[in-house]
Amino acid sequence: MSDCEKTNYIGKSVQRVDVYEKATGKAKYFEDYQVQYRDLLHVKVLRSPHAHAKIVSIDASAAEALPGVATVVKGSDPDIAWADIPYASSYYGNPAKDEVIWAGQAVVAVAAESIEIAEQALELVKVVYEELPYVVDQREAFKADAVSVTSPELGIAAGYGGVQPEGPNVMGSYKLTHGDVEKAFAEADVIVEEEYQAGKKSTSQIECNGSIVEYHEGGGVTIITNGCGVHGVVKNHILTMYPQLSSNKVRVIQPVTGGSFGNRLFPLVEPLAVLMALRTKRTVSYVLTRKEMYTSSPSNWPVYTKLKLGAKKDGTIIAEKLELVEDAGAQIRGYFDGRLSSSGLMCVYNIPNVQCDSYAVRTNTMPCAPYRGLGCAESEWAMENLIDVLAEKLDMDPLEIRLKNILKKGETNPYGEKVTSIGLGRCLEAVADAINIDEPCQQDGGPWKYGKGIAAAGKQNTPLGRAEADCLVHSDGSIELLVSCDEQGMGVQTTLRQMAATEFQIDIEKVKVTRADTAITPYDNFGASSRTTYTTGNAVIIACQDAIDQLKEAAGRKVGLAKKQVTIKNGKAYFVGSNIESIDIADLYEPFSFFTQQTWGLLKGTPVRGRGVFCPAPAVEWFGPGHEDGRTPRMWNWYQYSAFGAEVAVNEETGQIKILKLMSTADTGNPINPKLVEGQIDGGVIMALGFSIMDHHMFQDGKMMNPNMSDYRLPTTLETPLQKNFMRAILPDPLPDGPFNAKGMAESIMIPVGPAIAAAIYQAIGVRPTEMPMTAERVLKLIKDKEASDAK
Amino acid sequence: MQNRANYIQVECEINGKAVDLLVSPDRTVVDVLRNELGLTGTKQGCDDGNCGACTILVDGKAAKSCSMLIGQARNKKITTIEGVSNGDVLHPMQQAFIDHFAIQCGFCTPGMIMTAIAILNENPNATEEDIREGLHGNLCRCTGYVKVVEAIEDARDKINAGGVN
Amino acid sequence: MKFNAYYEPKTVEECVQILSEQGSDVKMLAGGTDLVIRLRSRALKPKTVVSLNAIPELSEVSLKEDGLYIGAMARLMDVSKSELLTGAWKIVKTGAGNVSSMQVRNIATLGGNSCNASPSADTVPGLVVSGAIANIVGKNGNRSVLLEEFFTGPGKTVLADDEMLVSFKIPKYADKTGAVYKKYSIRGDTDIAIIGVAGKVTLNAQDEVVDVKIALGGVAPTVIRVPKAEALLSGKKLTDQLIEEAAVIASESCTPITDARATKEYRKEMVKVWVRHVLKDAAQEAQKN
Repeated sequence: MSDCEKTNYIGKSVQRVDVYEKATGKAKYFEDYQVQYRDLLHVKVLRSPHAHAKIVSIDASAAEALPGVATVVKGSDPDIAWADIPYASSYYGNPAKDEVIWAGQAVVAVAAESIEIAEQALELVKVVYEELPYVVDQREAFKADAVSVTSPELGIAAGYGGVQPEGPNVMGSYKLTHGDVEKAFAEADVIVEEEYQAGKKSTSQIECNGSIVEYHEGGGVTIITNGCGVHGVVKNHILTMYPQLSSNKVRVIQPVTGGSFGNRLFPLVEPLAVLMALRTKRTVSYVLTRKEMYTSSPSNWPVYTKLKLGAKKDGTIIAEKLELVEDAGAQIRGYFDGRLSSSGLMCVYNIPNVQCDSYAVRTNTMPCAPYRGLGCAESEWAMENLIDVLAEKLDMDPLEIRLKNILKKGETNPYGEKVTSIGLGRCLEAVADAINIDEPCQQDGGPWKYGKGIAAAGKQNTPLGRAEADCLVHSDGSIELLVSCDEQGMGVQTTLRQMAATEFQIDIEKVKVTRADTAITPYDNFGASSRTTYTTGNAVIIACQDAIDQLKEAAGRKVGLAKKQVTIKNGKAYFVGSNIESIDIADLYEPFSFFTQQTWGLLKGTPVRGRGVFCPAPAVEWFGPGHEDGRTPRMWNWYQYSAFGAEVAVNEETGQIKILKLMSTADTGNPINPKLVEGQIDGGVIMALGFSIMDHHMFQDGKMMNPNMSDYRLPTTLETPLQKNFMRAILPDPLPDGPFNAKGMAESIMIPVGPAIAAAIYQAIGVRPTEMPMTAERVLKLIKDKEASDAK
Repeated sequence: MQNRANYIQVECEINGKAVDLLVSPDRTVVDVLRNELGLTGTKQGCDDGNCGACTILVDGKAAKSCSMLIGQARNKKITTIEGVSNGDVLHPMQQAFIDHFAIQCGFCTPGMIMTAIAILNENPNATEEDIREGLHGNLCRCTGYVKVVEAIEDARDKINAGGVN
Repeated sequence: MKFNAYYEPKTVEECVQILSEQGSDVKMLAGGTDLVIRLRSRALKPKTVVSLNAIPELSEVSLKEDGLYIGAMARLMDVSKSELLTGAWKIVKTGAGNVSSMQVRNIATLGGNSCNASPSADTVPGLVVSGAIANIVGKNGNRSVLLEEFFTGPGKTVLADDEMLVSFKIPKYADKTGAVYKKYSIRGDTDIAIIGVAGKVTLNAQDEVVDVKIALGGVAPTVIRVPKAEALLSGKKLTDQLIEEAAVIASESCTPITDARATKEYRKEMVKVWVRHVLKDAAQEAQKN
């Protein structure tokens, strides 16, 4: 093996950097820091039992008087942080003021010497509510005459992107017109149309959200949190909400964290914990309970899609019309306008005529935030199901119709973007092949019926701003990356380390990653939309190249050569055009002497610092003139693709579904670490299996009925097929602008799982689910309805 | 806070060491492990006994330490994740989790490893089905369980082949 | 969670003495897998907790002349593996093995599963069709109650403040008896049962039903029997038609609620499905025992 091959770590399954500490229990998650603080206060929160109610009065005097209670926070307190929300509700988890708009919203918070005392104090608080009409169903909430989620006199949500609200709860809309849809439908030989719904679900990472906020004399805070985005989310929000804090007095540290999947992209615990710490001048710990994780931390955004497709006899899809409504929940706003969800319906197939009318609506339910896939698993549920309906009408097989219509590299998608990387065709062929889609399942005459299905998926990468990286070359030649990207378990510390070692052509053991401490590591926005490999990865490469450039210059000066004559590898500078062959990097640093001030140049103890800043193409053209049709040549950065095939069993007596065999394929771009990619595939598939057939929020009287890990049915080892029936493949199409041609990949995996299962159910038992999750009860109802209609 | 007059004395063995605790009886085992003894490797992921992150061994058998009062630890041998390696030499189960990339965010890992050890304590020749049956009380949201089960099978084979533990 | 006093008696007598002194604001701690969760969530706030974990005699399992005795503190894992539970008694093993995960079964107890008085307790329907008797000790002496009559509502039993359940007696079963329990849930044993169905069938030499008992969990405030369906089957040969009729009767005779696990309509439908399976399987088992 040549030196160059040895130090090319791209595509190699290098072991994760954090596994020893995780396997031994030594890894410290935020809550593990509690034992360091002797003066810790614990926060507990009283939450609204009503989906919508006016707060008539709050009497917290008995709680305040309870020994051991340090402070009580109500929404009407003068020091509470409010932001730009015009209607009455809490801001990022702080207690509500005039009315509560979902069951689970914070009303009163207590900090006390122990959890026990805090809980006791909450039981002493008397709140008088006046219940108000509420709406939890997004299709109801969307109507022009719907019940308003907030009291109308307190103002309604304004549209996003300058769009006029079309009902009291409609927050925004995104519309796109591509070609002439009506004309195309008139020319179509076959037209299919259906309505689909995807449910409300929680990411349910095993570590609950929380923070410890340490107070410093003089009015500063250190926030140890498992929240995302130490700079981009947590610090930015805290500085905005508490103007008395200057930037140099807020330090945010993200220790080892236990999952997020999008749920922690809003700072829901840090603001209250900071407020408590500032008031009490004590260290404060605020950890959500599992129940609060379900009722008070964000869910996904459920999506309703009405979809219509028109095709020619040969299977070419020529027209797509979609009306989509995404449910934003009660409170979080920002980016909701239907654009994210509808993107899934425009990135997989090459359809020349598209009319997209998408909306976002508020409901009296827990706020919504990203859930792995940004609404695409929810919207593509409609597309993939309807394509199967279309294929049946055209007498085509599900693979053939998809291969015929998927976008090919170099083509232009409905947004007007040129497709630069798409490996979907191979992904589809591989899943069809793995489950032998052409070979019908054997039936055994029992209540279990068997079927197979496949589906395709694509997911955009949202332009989510800037990432920075610093690359330190220490004077002993060791390398340290300083990055602030989130590490929630995906292994990015390891992949960034691989990138840096490869750039320096150095043994990976010489590279260390230091991460996510605003006092040490440079700006990064946050980990979302599978952006970290791409955005932070590119920043790391730029930082490494900057450092290498500085080393070349320094080395060149040493021997009197221009820097282009210098190569850096194996911890050495090599020269062309000098009789000196090479110098160790460590020798480029002048020794430090106590009695001399030394010269300019590299000095022992002072590392070379390479800087990398990467900012993907900004979405400047989203709303600009000339883009009234919703199209732009650069809407998103790039697309990841995936396909899924499954063999399932459906119980005709109970409606239960079992996944017997599955194959997941992923177009990841050039994979940096295949084993880590496999881990993302496995986890994504099982997470999707859960929300496709089991786990979702259930409501009764406006309240979530199942806010616990017993009734919120997450998949266990028993729902996962045996190893030999769990297949996967990485089938990359390199991304030209990705770091080492990689792209992010963790989201697309999820998307085709539900529709492929639905297709298999149809093959097994002849019913087509339109609502996800396909719970046993729902499937049994479809079976009974079919039996009733067949009997007629 | 409890009146100290109500405290109870609990003698037990934790990770091979005799421990004599004087604690309030209303505390759970996981609370005492984490907050009194600083053994923070045992995690808490839910409040309802369902996630399995707090799994420990009680006399060699897996138990959820969130659902046990400290009095139930009396005269028991408790093992936590901190007690399974032999100094710097990892338990074959820990090594297998590392080798098979069975660890992602790692929050469920201590509980998974403790349950896995208990499964093999019960049945050294546990099949893949036995392993899945034993492990369904441990939830993981990252790995899809695939590499976890693979790791446990590998640890089983290595332990059975001898030479380790 | 907070309680003022924690007792750990060493004998049943000592325990009953403590119970009689403490009054009604007491909770007994068996395995605690359910109790501790409810103490932590503050759903229960007793003043006193009495642990039964230091009374060794409560864990005994023994075969006697008149049947099998299982101590109230027998761990579900041990019950699920007990070699003494053979033939038609295997239904008790099945129920114990269906409770939650390995971690829970290692700690939770057979007595605790009954004393919780959850309508969906997995061990109860099997014990009920087996004719299990609850042996109770109290301040004023001992008494025995048919387990079927032990429950008075969700979370409620016939136990007086100074009484405790010490053991179950499972009477011997006749030849050609088969007993089967099926738990129906979405995620197998991880879930609390949507419904649970236990059936016990004794056949005579002509394969006519001499004795039949059907018990349903999760469909009423307590585990219930279905006398009307049992009466229909008695003295007859079990045909598919007859079994189907019994299943319909069972479904009609229950009064389930809608909760996070299932709607009442779905529960009724599942009773129909699983009573049918259970009766068929029990009849088959009867041929073996």
